[in-house]
Amino acid sequence: MTEVQIDSAAVAPAAAVPSPRPPLFGRSREAVTGWLFVLPFAVLLVAFLLLPMAYALKLSLYRSTLIEGEHFAWFDNYKQAFQDPLVRQGVGRVLVFGLVQTPVMIGLALLAALLIDHATSRFSRVFRLAAFVPYAVPVVIGTLMWGFLYGQETGPFSLLHIDFLSSSWVLASLGNVVTWQWAGYNMIVLYAALQGLPREVYESARIDGAGPVQLALRIKTPMIGSALILATLFTILGTLQFFTEPLILQPLNPGSITQHYTPNVYAYHQAFSFQQYNYSAAISFLLGAVVFVGSYLFLFATRKRSAL
Amino acid sequence: MNVRNFSVRRSVIAAVAAVTALTVAACSGGSDAGTDKASGPVTVKVWAWYPSFQPVVDLFNSTHTDIKIEWTNAGAGQDEYTKLQTALKAGKGAPDVVMLEFQELPTYQLTKHLVDMGKYGANDLKGSYVDWAWKQVSNGDKVYAIPVDSGPMAMLYREDLFSKYDLTIPKTWDEYKVQAEKLKAATAGKSFMTDFGANDGGFLTGLSWQAGAKPYTYDTANPAEIGVSVNDAPTKQVMSYWEGMVGSGLADTKAYGTTDFYNGLGSGKYVTYLAAGWGPGYLQSVAKTTAGKWRAAPLPQWTAGANAQGDWGGSSFAVTDQSKNPEAATTVAKEIFGANNAEAWKIGIDQAYLFPTATPVLESDAFLKKKYDFFGGQTVNDVFVPAYKAIAPFSWSPFNSYNFNQITTGLNQAIEKKTSWTAALDTAQANITQYATQQGFKVK
Repeated sequence: MTEVQIDSAAVAPAAAVPSPRPPLFGRSREAVTGWLFVLPFAVLLVAFLLLPMAYALKLSLYRSTLIEGEHFAWFDNYKQAFQDPLVRQGVGRVLVFGLVQTPVMIGLALLAALLIDHATSRFSRVFRLAAFVPYAVPVVIGTLMWGFLYGQETGPFSLLHIDFLSSSWVLASLGNVVTWQWAGYNMIVLYAALQGLPREVYESARIDGAGPVQLALRIKTPMIGSALILATLFTILGTLQFFTEPLILQPLNPGSITQHYTPNVYAYHQAFSFQQYNYSAAISFLLGAVVFVGSYLFLFATRKRSAL
Repeated sequence: MNVRNFSVRRSVIAAVAAVTALTVAACSGGSDAGTDKASGPVTVKVWAWYPSFQPVVDLFNSTHTDIKIEWTNAGAGQDEYTKLQTALKAGKGAPDVVMLEFQELPTYQLTKHLVDMGKYGANDLKGSYVDWAWKQVSNGDKVYAIPVDSGPMAMLYREDLFSKYDLTIPKTWDEYKVQAEKLKAATAGKSFMTDFGANDGGFLTGLSWQAGAKPYTYDTANPAEIGVSVNDAPTKQVMSYWEGMVGSGLADTKAYGTTDFYNGLGSGKYVTYLAAGWGPGYLQSVAKTTAGKWRAAPLPQWTAGANAQGDWGGSSFAVTDQSKNPEAATTVAKEIFGANNAEAWKIGIDQAYLFPTATPVLESDAFLKKKYDFFGGQTVNDVFVPAYKAIAPFSWSPFNSYNFNQITTGLNQAIEKKTSWTAALDTAQANITQYATQQGFKVK
């Protein structure tokens, strides 16, 4: 069931036929009906995204201190964030993380998708489900579980005598948790796109003498370009906002997973550990801007391949 | 889809409108239900995370007809503080009475969120608590909280392993190190004298407190001035000592509260556990298999023959400024674990393993002469009660979360060998001074 739903969701944007855009404020009954359909979403969007964002923006322009109270501070918080070496460290870390993590995960997901698309045995169905299961496990639970697995006393890897959460290993260990959690999801997205491809193309490729490897690399992969770009975009967005995994594993080794490990973790602790709500809001807004610009640039750079 | 039928479309519109209305209704639901009727008992909302707290609440409710406690466990420690800060900032949603650890009190006093219970007769209790404990919660006649439990420190040790490896009970930290070396040689480094939990700010502060550290000079009567010296000589002495212990492989560095730490306590990897007054109960629950093998001895001293002590943890009940009935709330704070509430303390001692702060409870036979099977029948409070009475007054900063964070982050990075331990304290000192200045304090 789950796969079927994702099928249509993933393929729809790519396969949608562009249609002339209807006038926004048409007098017709269709327009009113359209707006009514949009209304539930719009209400939720305003209540849970736009209003909180506006409030955060307001917060970020003030400064509140324990002794002197609150005052309007223009862009002082943003200035501080730009100069804060801990913010820079965090941004640097998620960038390194993303540069390694994104190709590894998308590569694995693509490989798995191509394999199960090629093999139609019962095994491929079992494998598809098994690869997807980690995504169905809530992030917090999955991370806690890995916390136990990384344990040096009882974990299954304790025989290796490696402290997986020490400074030198921790980024790779976190990357492993993220890959475990999301590779299956990305695989399903790519697999769904593969399933939507017309089979005649394969047949003509085979008649032209293409083997299964050539078919996968030269026909299938380019044809699911837009799904690949979508999955890559989501992964990049996810790594920039890297938060839950480091936060959950932090108590296990606070020396290697510091409270400024990623910009989001830093913003969280500024707000909820140190009551620096204003500074936290500024960091969050900066991060949001970076994510927005980053994803726009990525889509712009890949616009020929993607239908987004 | 080609739905051209008008009635169908109307019903679709109606459905959409209905869904919207429902969503909006769902969003605006959950209004405050805290209003009381004119008659009947006053409801007092309490947040606390003591173990076995429900029977204590039931006991209070069954002995009071005019007040009814509504108890919520809003999380332990920082989890509760985060929710409390949010509720205080929002101006609603905070409980009447809240459990706060001693080190958090100045934070809430400074932002004027705690009710002065001195106005409602809390000063009557002053004589029921030892000096340092009462000073933690009050300033002159102003009483900001009622002490409940505390954490005088002692050394819990594995008696079986001590005799197996022919170790003697150390009286000083120097002797402690000698025994640690003996243990390391005897077990080829497989066992450690203890585990040093650099992730626990309360533990680190307790050890420095014993050595006479005074990281902050702060008087809530003069809230805009603060003295910061988290890198003072006693703190540096303590941390250099532990740098040596950790560096020579005599102490392990697993974070407290992790599975690896619990396993070490149970497996004999750690032969001592530097614990607080609530430690015996805690140990009993995390290292069940070692029942009967542990004993308690006083914390080793820096000067032979001295009796210097420190506190690790300890909590109190405070009344928040959002309470509509501060007088009833004060009654709850005073009486729920009251100094003379022997019945509540029976639960507190036997089930929750709290270390009481009130002298009448401390000196009762039920506490002093209680034999602990887990400690081979030892009356461990013989060790903890004298330690409790010897603790020196100590003051905290009004930004303790930041303080603990800086200390633990610094020392953890020192353990990861990114810096030396004393340099980590200097960094913490610089960061905290900068933070305090930014917050508008005059740093002395």
